[in-house]
Amino acid sequence: MQASRARLFKEYKEVQREKTADPDIQLVCDDSNIFKWTALIKGPSETPFDGGVFQLAFSVPEHYPLQPPQVRFLTKIFHPNVHFKTGEICLDILKTAWSPAWTLQSVCRAIIALMAHPEPDSPLNCDSGNLLRSGDVRGYQSMARMYTRLAAMPKKG
Amino acid sequence: MDDDYASTDEDYQYSDQDVEEEDSVGEFYENADDSIQLPSSIAPAAQVITKESLIVAQKEDLRRVMDMLSVRQEHARIMLIYHRWDVEKLFEVYVEKGKAFMFAQAGVSVDEYHDSGSLDSAIVMCEICMDDIPSDEATRMDCGHCFCNTCWTQHFFVKVNEGQSKRIRCMAHKCNSICDEAVVRTLLGRKHPDMAEKYARFLLESYIEDNNKVKWCPSTPHCGNAIRVGGDDDLCEVECSCGEQFCFKCLSEAHSPCSCLMWELWEKKCRDESETVNWITVHTKSCPKCHKPVEKNGGCNLVSCICGQAFCWLCGGATGRDHTWSSIAGHSCGRYKEQEKSAERAKRDLYRYMHYHNRYKAHTDSFKLESKLKDIIQGKISITEEKHSGRKKTELNDYSWVNNGLLRLFRSRRVLSYSYAFAFYMFGDELFKEQMSEAEREMKQNLFEDQQQQLEANVEKLSKILEEPFDTFKYAKLMEIRMQIITLSALIDDLCKKMYECIDNDLLDSINLGSVHSIAPYKSKGIEKASELPVCWSNKADNTEMLLSEKDSCIYAASVGVTAELNQSEESGCSSRKRARKEGGFFDLNLPAEVVDRN
Ligand SMILES: [Zn+2]
Ligand SMILES: [Zn+2]
Ligand SMILES: [Zn+2]
Ligand SMILES: [Zn+2]
Ligand SMILES: [Zn+2]
Ligand SMILES: [Zn+2]
Ligand SMILES: [Zn+2]
Repeated sequence: MQASRARLFKEYKEVQREKTADPDIQLVCDDSNIFKWTALIKGPSETPFDGGVFQLAFSVPEHYPLQPPQVRFLTKIFHPNVHFKTGEICLDILKTAWSPAWTLQSVCRAIIALMAHPEPDSPLNCDSGNLLRSGDVRGYQSMARMYTRLAAMPKKG
Repeated sequence: MDDDYASTDEDYQYSDQDVEEEDSVGEFYENADDSIQLPSSIAPAAQVITKESLIVAQKEDLRRVMDMLSVRQEHARIMLIYHRWDVEKLFEVYVEKGKAFMFAQAGVSVDEYHDSGSLDSAIVMCEICMDDIPSDEATRMDCGHCFCNTCWTQHFFVKVNEGQSKRIRCMAHKCNSICDEAVVRTLLGRKHPDMAEKYARFLLESYIEDNNKVKWCPSTPHCGNAIRVGGDDDLCEVECSCGEQFCFKCLSEAHSPCSCLMWELWEKKCRDESETVNWITVHTKSCPKCHKPVEKNGGCNLVSCICGQAFCWLCGGATGRDHTWSSIAGHSCGRYKEQEKSAERAKRDLYRYMHYHNRYKAHTDSFKLESKLKDIIQGKISITEEKHSGRKKTELNDYSWVNNGLLRLFRSRRVLSYSYAFAFYMFGDELFKEQMSEAEREMKQNLFEDQQQQLEANVEKLSKILEEPFDTFKYAKLMEIRMQIITLSALIDDLCKKMYECIDNDLLDSINLGSVHSIAPYKSKGIEKASELPVCWSNKADNTEMLLSEKDSCIYAASVGVTAELNQSEESGCSSRKRARKEGGFFDLNLPAEVVDRN
């Protein structure tokens, strides 16, 4: 569809122009396919994801922005609302609460917010959700930190 | 429009004549009299809603909400869809929570942003496509959010395509507001007229889809009609104008006195091959030597095949021929007791099912056979009419007694056949085992079966009499058979009524299960025929006023659609004859986009 292409092109230009505006997000469009994007987001500070860099994969549908993009984590992450194996994200704005006024950039921001404020009541990762729900915040944090170190930090040496 | 059954009251003057059921005569005549004096339906009757009358059908509900809350029709529609067309519920929310809450909840924005802002600037930036556009190419919804027409159109297209068109929300994040009906139709109509039609149809059909009191007729192929029932009770049986008779609650065939759940279970049971399979496992085993199925012939578990091989019935293993009652020489299979028990139970359950099913089926089959009686009897009536035409006796000018007798036979046959499915569950282990003690169950079963047998005996009697060659009878004999049919019909009606009362008051009443097993009430006149809703407006003054005062808001009702209807009505007198002509013309009712534009 021409409309989605035009809109994505605008978003692309916007991203280029505002490159320095949000240092936590780096959105990159696939060279050959404007419907495929990747993003690198920094784990928010004061969370077990601090210091990690996480890669997201966007797949944009034909009717975008009337339909939400599909987003998943490519980097392994231990988080109650992210499926541990597939990286699938449970976030309302990516489903029922989607509004065409959202952009890929603002979706990244929403995902960063979700990393800082997990919702253990709609878990895709039951182990992680259970830890949080049972009040074992330390257990959750140490697991999450371990996976951040293993998967989301540049290997030393 | 009087039901033919009512016309029998003329017959009551013969109650002093000789009849077979002498002792009960007085009693049932009184009952019959009662039922005739009562107004037959206090609750508003069931109605057929055709494609053409769909607009009229919802007019009254829309009207009430519009008047009560002084809102536009499309706002009334949004709120009614939200509340599943339950006007009382809507008013309740209004009274308890207030207007503002009710509007917000349903997604209605009442013109707060009207004509303010954006008009000053000639250029607006659409946050969806991120383009700068002239403000006349953008549309602001009642909620205040403004996007370009291209984006709106795309949004509507996607939503209608996804089948969500009854409640299309605004595109802005977290805005709960439902998009203006007129805007959707206009914008969508410009680029995708087919989608605009689909949208309009979804909105109109919401009256059927999202309404507890209206359901599509379940006929296949579908007749295109829906049925609306009156009153608060959806537990009833209705007949559509296409002839389909069904249970309004579960939409399967009319099945009272079975409850919907009983009927569902029964139908499934009858369908299941497992019963047959069960029969074979209970009754035959294959020979271990030649593999032919062998039937057990007595109580002894040592059976022998025609090939001469003896084997153990319980384990199927080959054995020698010596045995005592409890053991077989040279063989011990160890499963004797357990298997015996479960086999016995399976057999008992099967016999029980067969008992009820055979009777259920016998009556259903009789019903089918008797349906053919209708034509035969009509023939006999013509002959008789011819033969006795010289007589001036009033009682023979009218042959309704034959037809009424026949109708009574059909109705009671139905009741009778379904009563066996009912009894199967009522007195079986599947549903009510925990609810009744063994003694209670036996008592209830006796009570019920006594009634059932009385009904059955009289139905068979009536069936037999109706088959008699009354067209060859002399006058006196004819009068006699006439009296018999009248008497029997009344008696049978009474017995049916009593059986339903027994089920309601004596059988199901003590079983505390809420309304799961409520049954559709018995109606002497048979399953209610839904009457057709007139296609034209019932009240012309009302209509004119509607056209004048709400021209801009009545998307469907205004100009084109209804005016056309009115013209037609004047020619043909709003009858259902139009239906054939209007086939496929349903979408003409919608305004073309240009007409909306002009407003
Ligand atoms: Zn979810
Ligand atoms: Zn736009
Ligand atoms: Zn809005
Ligand atoms: Zn029908
Ligand atoms: Zn039912
Ligand atoms: Zn054999
Ligand atoms: Zn054995």
